[in-house]
Amino acid sequence: MLEIKNLTKTYGEKKAVDSLSLHIAPGEIYGFIGHNGAGKTTTLKAVSGILGFDEGEIKIGGVSVKEDPIACKKMLAYIPDNPDIYEFMTGIKYLNFIADIFGVGAKEREERIRKYADLFELTKDLAEPVSAYSHGMKQKLAIISAWLHEPKLIIMDEPFVGLDPKAAHILKGMMRKFCDRGNAIFFSTHVLEVAEKLCDKVAIIKGGKLIRSGTMEEVKGDDSLEEVFLELEGE
Amino acid sequence: MFKALLKKQLYQLNQSFFYDSKKGKSRSKGSSIAFIVFFVVIMVGVLGGMFFYFSKILCEPLVKSGYGWLYFALQSLVGVMMGVFGSVFNTYASLYKAKDNDLLLSLPIPVRQILVVRLLGVYLMGAMYSVIITVPAVIVYLMTVGFSASAFLGSLVLVLSGTVVVFVLSCILGLAVAKISDKLKNKSIVTVIFSLAFLGIYYYVYANAFNLLGAVIENVQTIGEKVKGAAYPLYVFGKCGEGELLPVLAALAFSVLILALTYVIMEKSFLKIATSSGKSERKEYREKSVKTKSPNKALLSKEFSRFLSSPTYMLNCALGTLFMPVAGIVVLIKGESLLSMLTESLPLENETVSVLAVFSVCAVASMNDLTAPSVSLEGKNLWLSQSLPISVWQIFSSKLKLHVLLTAIPALFLSVCLCVVLRPSVGVIAGMVALPFIFSVFGAALGLVINLKMPNLNWTNETAAVKQSFSVLIALFAGFSVALVGAVGYLVLAEKIEGYVYIAIASAALTVVTFVLIRRLKTKGTEIFKNL
Repeated sequence: MLEIKNLTKTYGEKKAVDSLSLHIAPGEIYGFIGHNGAGKTTTLKAVSGILGFDEGEIKIGGVSVKEDPIACKKMLAYIPDNPDIYEFMTGIKYLNFIADIFGVGAKEREERIRKYADLFELTKDLAEPVSAYSHGMKQKLAIISAWLHEPKLIIMDEPFVGLDPKAAHILKGMMRKFCDRGNAIFFSTHVLEVAEKLCDKVAIIKGGKLIRSGTMEEVKGDDSLEEVFLELEGE
Repeated sequence: MFKALLKKQLYQLNQSFFYDSKKGKSRSKGSSIAFIVFFVVIMVGVLGGMFFYFSKILCEPLVKSGYGWLYFALQSLVGVMMGVFGSVFNTYASLYKAKDNDLLLSLPIPVRQILVVRLLGVYLMGAMYSVIITVPAVIVYLMTVGFSASAFLGSLVLVLSGTVVVFVLSCILGLAVAKISDKLKNKSIVTVIFSLAFLGIYYYVYANAFNLLGAVIENVQTIGEKVKGAAYPLYVFGKCGEGELLPVLAALAFSVLILALTYVIMEKSFLKIATSSGKSERKEYREKSVKTKSPNKALLSKEFSRFLSSPTYMLNCALGTLFMPVAGIVVLIKGESLLSMLTESLPLENETVSVLAVFSVCAVASMNDLTAPSVSLEGKNLWLSQSLPISVWQIFSSKLKLHVLLTAIPALFLSVCLCVVLRPSVGVIAGMVALPFIFSVFGAALGLVINLKMPNLNWTNETAAVKQSFSVLIALFAGFSVALVGAVGYLVLAEKIEGYVYIAIASAALTVVTFVLIRRLKTKGTEIFKNL
C-alpha cells in the first residue's frame, strides 16, 4: 500500500529525514514513534504530498507521489497534528466540501456523515461554525472527513491528542476495522501504550534515521515498547 | 503587582512600535525609532496640523462675536467624536477579548486591578485621538486671546473632561457591543454595514468641513442660542474652556461623577463578560438533502464563504464591488448634467469623455484586490489545499474567479450606465464592455502573482494578512496606475487615434500582459505554492 524508499528531506543544511525506507502492506496499522523533531511529521507530510523531498521515492498503491500526486492524494486521507480546519465554515459545510472534492455521492455522504457524526456525538454541532469548536471537536471533524471518502491509506499525525477517552476508544476501533478491510494506516504517536496495543508494525525514528522497524514482537521482544524506545533513544 | 500589570498594559498598547508581529520578532532600535517618528509625524504633524488650521479659521470670528464658549463646545464635540470613533473598535476587544484575560485571571491578582489597567488602556487610546483636536484648539485660543492663568486652567480642565467623556462613551459602546455580539447572527455583514456607515459619515463631514465651518461662522448667533437652549451642558463646557470658575468646577464634578459611575457599571459586568464563552444561541443541526458540487464549484464556494466571513477582507479588498453599482446609479441620475458641465468647462469631445469613462471604470475596479491577500489568508489551513487531490491551478482558478465575478459584473453594470448616458459609438461600446472585463482578469492575476511573491502565512489576526499586507498595497497601486496610464495615454494621443482603436490596442496589450501573468501562475506560481 505504501512504499517509502530512501526518503531524504533537508531543511537548509539539516537533514530532517535521512534515507528512510518503509513498506506498509494492506491491512496494517503502522505506528511511527520518535522524539520531538525526529522527522516524523516531515515524513508524514512528504507521504501526503504536502512536502516535496530531495531524494528517494514514495509510492502509494504503486503510484509515485512525485509523478502523479493527485492520483495518490485521491487514495489517501491526511490528519495533521493540529486540526486547523476552515473556521469560516460550519462543520457540515466542511464535510460537504471534502465530499465534493473527493466526488462522494449525495447518498453515500449522507449515510457516512450520519454514521460517524453520531459515533463521535458531533451531529448536533454540525451546524455550528468550526471557529466555535473545541480542539477535540475539530479533531473529531478531521477524523470524520478522513473516513468520509473511504480512502485506502490514512496518514495521521498524533491523532489521539485532544480526544476524550470515549472518542479515543472509538477511533481505535475505527482504525482496526478500516485496516481489516484491506486498507492501511500510518500514524505517529507519543503514547507508546496505544502504539503497543494497536499497531501491527512499528518504526522508530531518531535524528531523521530509521533505527528500528518491524512487527511489534520484532521491535520490542519481551520488553515493553517504552523500555525499548528509551533504550534506543539513550544510545 | 499593580505596577507590573500597568507596565505590561503600556507595553501591549505600544507593542507595535517595538515588535514586528508579521516577522514574529522584536524591531531593531532604528526601526522602532523610525516607526515612532512616523507615527508622531502622522498624528501631530498631519492630523494635529489639520485641526490647528481648522481652529484658526473658527476661533477668531467666534471669540470676536463673544461666542468663545461655542468655539470650545464645538471643538470638544469634534474631539469626543474623534476619540470615540478612534477607540470604539478597540474597546470591546481590549476589554473583553484580550488574549491574556485567562492568564491574568488565573494569577493571584485582584480582578479590580486587572479591570483598572484594562480601563486605563481604553482611556489612553481614546485620549490620544481626542487631544489631537482639543490641544490645537486650546493653543489657537490662547494665541488669539492671549495667555491667562484662568483660561489656561479652564482649557486644561476642558481637555481632561473631554478625554473622560470619550472614555465613558467608549466603555458604554464596548459594553453594548459585548452584549449585542453574543446574540448577533451574521456578525460580519453587520460589521461591514456599520463600518461603511461610519466611513460614509466620516467622508461626508470631511468633504463638507469648510462649508460647515462657514455656516457656523455666518450663523454664530442663531447656532449659539440654539445650543445654549437645547444643550446647556455644552454651554457649560464651553464656558469652562474660557476659564470661568463655576463652569470649571461643574465640568470637574461632572467628570468625576461619570467616571465613578462608569467604573461601578464596568466592575459589575467585567468578569461575567470576559469569561463568557461568546457563543450565541446554539444552532442544532438538522439533516437536509445535499446537492453535490464539482471540485471546482466546491473550491469557488469555499472562497465565497471565506470572503463573506471576514469584514476585514470585504472592506479592504472589495470596495469596488459596492462603489461601481453606486457610481452607475449616480451616473444614470446625474450623468446628463455632469456630462454637459464637463464638456462645457473643458475642451472635451463626447468620444474623449467616453474613452476616459472606460478607464474610470477600470480605476474604480482597481479598488478590488481580492486575490492579493488570498494566498496569505490560507494561513494555517494551507495543509488542506496542499493535501487534497486538486491541482494548484484549480486552487488558483477559484481565487481568480472570485475576484473576476465580484469585479467584472459590477463593472459591466457601471459600463452599461455610462453607455446609456454617453451614447458612444458602437466601437467604444464594445470597448466599454471588453476592457473592464479584461482589466478585472488582469487585476486578479496580478494580485495572485504579487501575493505568491510575498505571502504572509504566519498571522494570528487576519488584519495582518489583509490590511497590513504589502501585496495588497502594491496590487492596489499597480492596478490604479495601469488605469491612470491608460487615461493619460489617450489624452496625449486623442488627436492622432480614434477612441475605439485606442481601447482596442489597450485591451490587446492588457490581454497579453494578463496571459503572461497567468502563464507565470501556471509555472513558477505553482512551484512557489507547492513549496510554501
